[in-house]
This record gives sequence, structure tokens and C-alpha cells, in this order.
Amino acid sequence: MKFIKENGPHIKNSDTTSKIMTRFLISLIPIVCFVIFKNTVLVYFFTSETLISVLHPIFMIIVGVLTSFISELLWFKLVNKTNIKTSFLELYRSFSIIPGLLLALVLPINTPLWIVAFGAFCGTIIGKMLYGGFGQNIFNPALIGYLFISVSYNALLGSPLNAYELDTLAGATPLTNLTSLNYFGTYDSIVGSYGTLLNFFSGTIPGTLGEVSKLLILIAFIYLVITKTIKWRIPTTYVTTVFVVTWIIGNSLGLGIWYPLFHILSGGLLFGAVFMATDPVTSPLTPIGQVLHGISLGLLTVVIRFLTPYPEGVMTSILFMNMLVPLFDKIGVRLRYNIKRIYIPILIYLVITILLIINIISNINNNKTNGIDDVGNKVKIIEIKKDGNKKIYNVTSKGWGTIKAEVEVVDKEIKSIIVTDKKDETQWNELEKVDYIYKVITNQKDINKLDAVSGSTFSSEAIKNIIKKVLSEELK
Amino acid sequence: MKKIFSYLFKENPVFVLVLGLCSVLAVTTTFERSYMMGVVVLVILVLSNLIVSLIRKIVSEEIRIPVYIIIISTLVTITELILNKYSKPLYDAFGIYLPLIVVNCVVLGRALSYASKNKVLDSIKDGFKSGLGYLVAISIIGLLRELLGNGTITIMNDISGITGYKEILHIFNNVVIPNKLFLTSGGAFILLGIVIGIINGRRSEV
Repeated sequence: MKFIKENGPHIKNSDTTSKIMTRFLISLIPIVCFVIFKNTVLVYFFTSETLISVLHPIFMIIVGVLTSFISELLWFKLVNKTNIKTSFLELYRSFSIIPGLLLALVLPINTPLWIVAFGAFCGTIIGKMLYGGFGQNIFNPALIGYLFISVSYNALLGSPLNAYELDTLAGATPLTNLTSLNYFGTYDSIVGSYGTLLNFFSGTIPGTLGEVSKLLILIAFIYLVITKTIKWRIPTTYVTTVFVVTWIIGNSLGLGIWYPLFHILSGGLLFGAVFMATDPVTSPLTPIGQVLHGISLGLLTVVIRFLTPYPEGVMTSILFMNMLVPLFDKIGVRLRYNIKRIYIPILIYLVITILLIINIISNINNNKTNGIDDVGNKVKIIEIKKDGNKKIYNVTSKGWGTIKAEVEVVDKEIKSIIVTDKKDETQWNELEKVDYIYKVITNQKDINKLDAVSGSTFSSEAIKNIIKKVLSEELK
Repeated sequence: MKKIFSYLFKENPVFVLVLGLCSVLAVTTTFERSYMMGVVVLVILVLSNLIVSLIRKIVSEEIRIPVYIIIISTLVTITELILNKYSKPLYDAFGIYLPLIVVNCVVLGRALSYASKNKVLDSIKDGFKSGLGYLVAISIIGLLRELLGNGTITIMNDISGITGYKEILHIFNNVVIPNKLFLTSGGAFILLGIVIGIINGRRSEV
């Protein structure tokens, strides 16, 4: 380390990391209160759930906070071998409970508690302490925890609907609904089943714990910006980019202004932009770097939402862009003293955006024209055996490879599916874990509303296609 | 005993020199494949060190690397053909990583830095030492990855055609432990990093 000795009055800011952490926590309090209101109070009064089961979201938050706190304490105690007093002082300075809290807020409501603990532990130890503790980590610890959970136990994450929503709403989160509609539909089909856009804004839609109430997130954002806790450029450019790109896409497909608003208000976009992309350690320091960071985040989120099977792209894009933070800072420093060359990044981003928009629009149009024939191409009926009023269909369906199955039909209703060949399906055990075939058979009447098993989307789509094909064959 | 320990952990090509990671990350999904890969590399390392050391006075400085590459790739091709003949499942499981032993830094590194300057017996000894270090390292990674990622330990399955003995231990089968993360290459990297960290920490203590 180099010490510089200089004369002159140095003005010192009284901000410390512990003060920043306190302000961060204050801004999260209303969101936690809303979680408790929406998932505990409402559910308790409007359904017949027991008290213990409605308290689950509170337990999730407590477990996340405690796990990340205790694992960091243990690290200080066992590895750094500091005494208890210095450890607590260190913990007070190092944002120790934030990873667990944020992690609990981005998980769906029915997540088992031990998964929350696992994620908070991995996030704190692997995402933060192994890199050298607070200030040295290159990835956001909460997102590392989320990554570990989603890679390891994706099938166990559980649905994001609480018991009250299960009664009133059918289907999945707005974004999964959008993905299953191939990103195109009317206001009624995309927004209508969840109320109006005002419901999206106030937070009475299904989603992960903390992400739903956009109003409270906006209030928290204003509070954090006024107190200079977070960098305002990243969230604003991030959200603006997503808005502009989806607005152009929606406009050229003939959809109104509600389409970009839907994209901003659904999913974890605002939550991620305000609380995760602005993490003081893992975001650029230079103003131009922050703007570029925000734009790249927006573009990557749009790519993941529209061009991959994953409905939500916020966490992945933040995690990915964490890697490029040094690069953005380097560009920011260079451009600061040579502002004329700003046209280079502008040009590059413009070209990328235009190509991306053209690609997405042509993709959506393709899906629109041959969406229905798709099932017919992927599923082939080899033979039909009749046995009294029982019919057995011998079908093949295209997943990763080819699935062969025997489907038993009685009175235009599917009784059983026996999969005879599944050797190309590498993620088949994900389906078996959740007993997917049983779910498919029980939900055969409205198969489109059933979610694919995340982690094994192709195989579950293949099974769903079999049902669609056989039922349409029966109804002929 | 202490000498062996220092061979294995103080001069280990994988854990200390961080060489030959390609196969360590790619083929270690089961314990059996890991140790078989280690054995194959060990055999090739010993043989290549032997041959290189034998011809060290004939080969001039300028054409060293092409000659050594040819020697090593000949040995690798022979091994490949033998495996293809006698143990097809293992050959299929290794795939491209078997021919890639040619460019394994451990093999070429030992040939260039040791065998080309030293006597035959010393070279064989050196090759055996490095190969054993590689074998131990890759076995540890493979054992941990299979145990955590799949909940089993495959002691002998792919090569049971030769030995006539088959044994797969099923250790864990609950919701926590078959953790897919460790079967991906990312998980292998994290695991390798943690093991290297622990060994480096212990090394400075010893």
C-alpha cells in the first residue's frame, strides 16, 4: 500500500459502511412488511391455512438472515481466528445480513427452509468470504446463493403462489405465462388474468417474496438516492433500456404502451435494478461506466426474456455483468478525459440493439404463424391399438432426443402414460422428482396452464405435446 | 511416510503447479473414470520419460518439441487402440479427452524439463512421481464430485469387462446430497479451488 502525504484541508465524509448498511435495511423494512401483509395476514384471514404454514415467509427471511450472519461469524472465528468482540465489530461493518435477506426476498414463497439456509451459506462463504470478505468479492453474494440453489435444487424451489392466490388465480407468474404465449398476446391474455396494471404496481400478483410491490421499491429507490446510498444511474438506465426496447418490439407488433409497462412491472426487474445491480462492491464507480453497465444489463435481460426458455433474466444478467465491471470502469476512466470518443460505445450499443430487436420481432412472428403446427411436427403417432373401449396410442415425441411412450385412453380421457424410451433425456430425474407425468395426467384438460419443470424444459414440453396431440386426435 | 506425503502434496502437478486441468475437470464425473484417467496418464508419463531420456543425446535442441510430441502421441494412440479393443465403455466415456493427453502439460513438461537432461532411471522415477501425484489428485476430485453430485462411488463399472468385478457403492440418497451442481464443470472448478485452497493452507503449516 502506498501512503500519500499532502498538505491542505481534506474534507472527510462522515459516511461509514455501517451507516450505509443501516440505511439499506431501513429501505427494505416496508418491503418486508408488505411480504408479511400479503403472504401471512391476507392468507390467514381469507383461507383456512394453519398459523404455522402462513408464517412460512417470515421464517424464510429469518432463516436467511441468521444463516448468513452465523456463517460469516463462524468464518471469522474459525478461519481468521479473531475473538468474539472484533468479529462482531467486523460483522457490523461488512453488510453481513444483507445477502441472506436479499436471497430470501428473491425466492418463491414455497421454498423449503433448508434450501434458503443452503443458499445463504453458499452465498456468504463461497460468494463473499472466500474472495476475501466484504469489499473484495466480485460477484453479488446474494446472487451467488441464488445461483447455487437454482443449479442444485431447481425442481424443489416450489411455486411462487401463496394459498390465497391458489384459490383465485390459475397458472403461474405473469412472465411464465408470457413465455408460454410465445411473447405475444392481447391485453386480456397477458395482463387480464392478474387484474390490471395497477395490481402489478401495487403488488397483488404472484411472484417471489420481495419483488412484487413496485410502489414500495420505488419509494425505497427515492429514499436511497436522496441519502446517496446507491448509484442512481444504474437502475434508471437499466429500466429505461428495457422499457425502450420492449416498447419498440411491442409497437412493431401492434401492441400498446401497456406491453413495455408490463415488462417493467412484472418479475424482479425493479427489485434487481434497485437492490442488486447497485451493490456498492460489485458495480462500476465511474459515471459513464455506470451508464454502460445499466444499458448492458437491460439488453441482456431482454435477450434472456425473449430468446431463451427462461422467463426471468434479471438475476442472471446482473450476475453476468458483475464480471464485466472492471471493463466498464476502464472505459469510463478513458472516456472521462476524452469525451469526444463517446460515439464509439453509442454506435456499438445502437447496432446491438437494432440487431436484437429485429431478431426478436422475426422470432415472435415466426412463432405466431406456425405455433399450432409445431405440436404436429414434434409428435408422431406410430400406431393405435383398440381393445374394447380402451385405446393405446404408440407415440414418439421430440424432447432433447426422442421420447417413446404408450398412452392409454378410455372415453376420450388419458388414463396413463408409460414412457418406454427416454435415454436421450439427460434431465429426466427432474421430472421424476416432482412426479410430473402424474401432474400432466391430472391437468390434461387445461394442459397449457401447467408449468414446465425448470431445468428440464424440453422433456416436459415433449410430454405436454404428447397430451395435446393425443387429445386433439381423440376429438377429431 | 512423510516423504511420500511431500511428493504427493508439495510437488503435486495438479494442486500445486495447476497443470493438466483439462482432463481433471472433464472426465471426473465418476471415481472410476478419474482413477483410470490417472492410471493412463501415469503409464504414458513413465514410458515417455523413458524414451525421451534414452534418446536425449541424439535429439538436438532445435527439434526437441516436435520429436517429443511425436513420441507422446504415438504412446497415446497405442493406449487409445488398446482401450478401444478391451474396454469400449471406458473409451466412449473418455471421448476426446483421451487423445488430448498428448497436449497434457504434465507429460510434455516432465519430458522437456527433466527427462531430456537426466539419466534413464532417474527419469523413470521422476515420471512415476509426477504421474502418481496426478493420479492422487484426479482421484480425490473424482471421488468428491461423484459422492456429492451423484451420491455414489463407482469403484468398478466401465472396466468390469476385463476384471469381471463390479461394484457401485450407493452412499447418499436424500434430498440434499445428489446435488447436480457438482456434476457440472462449474462445480468441478469450485471444488478444485476449495481443495487447492485447503492444501495450500496445510502446506504452509507443515
